[in-house]
Amino acid sequence: MKYNHKLRRTAISSVIATVVLGSISTSAMAEVKFGALYPLSGGLALLGEESYRGLELAVDQINENGGVQGETVVLETGDAVDNNQAIGEARRLISQEDVKAIFGTYSSSRSIAASQVAEMSKVPYFELGAVADDVTERGLSYVFRTNPTAYHMAETIIDMLVNSIASELEVDPAELRIGIIHEDSNYGSSVAKHQRTFAEQEGLNIVMEEHYPASIVDMSSIILSLKNEEVDVVLQTSYQDDSVLFLRQANERDYQPKAIIGGGGGYSMTPTAEAVGHDVIDGVFDVDFTQYNVNPDFAPGIEDFQAAYEEKYEEAPRSGHSLINYAGALELLRAIDAGNGFSADEIKKAVLAMDVPDGETAAGMGIKIGENNQNERASMMGMQWQDGELVTVYPEEASVADIRTHQ
Amino acid sequence: MDLLFSLVINGLMLGSLYAMVSVGLTLIFGITKVINFAHGEFMMIGMMLTYIITTYLGIHPYLTLVFVVPLLFLLGIVVQKYLIEPLKDSDEHIQIFATVGLSIAMINLVLMLAGSNNFNTPSSGLRETLGLGAATVLTGQVVIMLCSIFMVGGLHLFLTKTQMGRAIRATAQNRNAAQLMGINVSRINMVTFGIGIACVGIAAVLLSPLYPVNAQTGQSFVLIAFVIVVMGGLGSIAGAFYAALIIGLVDAFAGFYLGSSLKDVAVFGIFLLVLIFRPSGLFGNARKLAHVS
Repeated sequence: MKYNHKLRRTAISSVIATVVLGSISTSAMAEVKFGALYPLSGGLALLGEESYRGLELAVDQINENGGVQGETVVLETGDAVDNNQAIGEARRLISQEDVKAIFGTYSSSRSIAASQVAEMSKVPYFELGAVADDVTERGLSYVFRTNPTAYHMAETIIDMLVNSIASELEVDPAELRIGIIHEDSNYGSSVAKHQRTFAEQEGLNIVMEEHYPASIVDMSSIILSLKNEEVDVVLQTSYQDDSVLFLRQANERDYQPKAIIGGGGGYSMTPTAEAVGHDVIDGVFDVDFTQYNVNPDFAPGIEDFQAAYEEKYEEAPRSGHSLINYAGALELLRAIDAGNGFSADEIKKAVLAMDVPDGETAAGMGIKIGENNQNERASMMGMQWQDGELVTVYPEEASVADIRTHQ
Repeated sequence: MDLLFSLVINGLMLGSLYAMVSVGLTLIFGITKVINFAHGEFMMIGMMLTYIITTYLGIHPYLTLVFVVPLLFLLGIVVQKYLIEPLKDSDEHIQIFATVGLSIAMINLVLMLAGSNNFNTPSSGLRETLGLGAATVLTGQVVIMLCSIFMVGGLHLFLTKTQMGRAIRATAQNRNAAQLMGINVSRINMVTFGIGIACVGIAAVLLSPLYPVNAQTGQSFVLIAFVIVVMGGLGSIAGAFYAALIIGLVDAFAGFYLGSSLKDVAVFGIFLLVLIFRPSGLFGNARKLAHVS
């Protein structure tokens, strides 16, 4: 009996404590919970965390300015180490943490898995950084994406080649012999597919196309084929290892095409340039999310973002992933703020009403949710390695330097 | 002609690299009968060590052999003694699971400590190109080629001319008879495992200046190493060497003529043909296979 008594007393006091504590926090300012689902450990952790930082900074900024609909935004994180855990964490965020929406995810496969769960529970899912077509091409009604995709990457690569690089080389784009090489996962293959479509529309001459596994250890036969086909312009879509391998081996085998245009993460990162050597990578083009050497007039707020990032994390941003997540999240939170309540349909209504023109976010791109709930104003930037730095050269209004060609 | 010559040279260079990685695996396979699925991860650890020692001491990557090879030898002994040996009486599958588990544990340990970043060992002049007629090779590749020949020759001498080598071969031929002749079989297994891992340590040091390393690096090499080991005849060191050169040449030619997307089809197609028509491997004989199974 004594035991029971004690138990009851503890139970009562803890209930009181919970009620009191709860009322204190609610009386200060109401809170609204959103989920943040990223790979925060495991193989994708580096850029997963980089992406999450962008979301965190957007939330900080929104909270400093009064939160959304007068409520403080609280992020509940989920760690999407693999697809199964992405699903498990999405379920936890929705059923236990009662989040009103989920932001994520960096990795396309995690995003595809987790957003399925959110759709079934009717919780809006905002993708800020994954590029695979399938994220938004499954006809789901509560999955939205703000960032540019494989489609936009290919579009920018071909546009930059036709409008800018070819004229700089003083050749007719149709005369260039183009070789497409890409790693063979969903990512590389879908970029290559769109490259083909856009190239055909522009009447370009693709003379070679090859794919390879991202774990490839020797690319000398690909380089021999490129040489043999006298390819002038190489388009490579790749991760980091295979970008390094290709650039190194091409240089060592003295293969010097008129232009190399890389797509994606591998080509944008400083460690890649350091591994290859800055003298070797000089002049190589790259199309990716907006990076930091961009005209601030076209990307207003980018300097404040960098300052806030450095203050919070005590280092410079490690890639453009944080920026693209920040730009998307900030506009989404502003839109939700302008809405009326946090039900899925209200949030959807608010998000569909977004109308941010190009050149008004920190990443440059505008935001308007269009067909398939994909941001129809999403775009990537064309960049070039010049004197040890990756500078934006395309489009004109975002550029900070002129295109250079080795002539 | 120039093109063919380039392809042959590329193939031989790649083949000798594969040979370096496979020799240790075939030794362990042939003698301790353990299928070491963690072989690639030992190489990855070796490459990480090479990177760390080279950058912190600022020495030439090849000098790290002095540290890396003994360390990996010890690591091999520890793994054999505390992981494989206790399982020697259990089912073979259990041993396989143990090495698979070890491989996963090693990858994740490195992911935890170093993240998924790439580490580049300074190339220290080993990426200089040498013109060989129409072909270009790197100085580092030539070193790998020469070392793989020395390694195979050295191991052959060790196994045939020394007391320890004879004991190792006796253990491989018949474990029980060797034990009856007074050979300490578990010690032999430990030493063999250690030597096998030390071999992949040498490969790791020589590879480091040419390839960046990350937690997953081992995985890119190990599948092809298994193909080579089986093709060469389980446990046959010379066989593994020739098989590696063949695979290297197939890789280079198929990569050029069929395209890199189809070259694995050629490599594994040849592997399947060997399994069907010469299940004991190109250079193994039926007697050897009987001992392995």
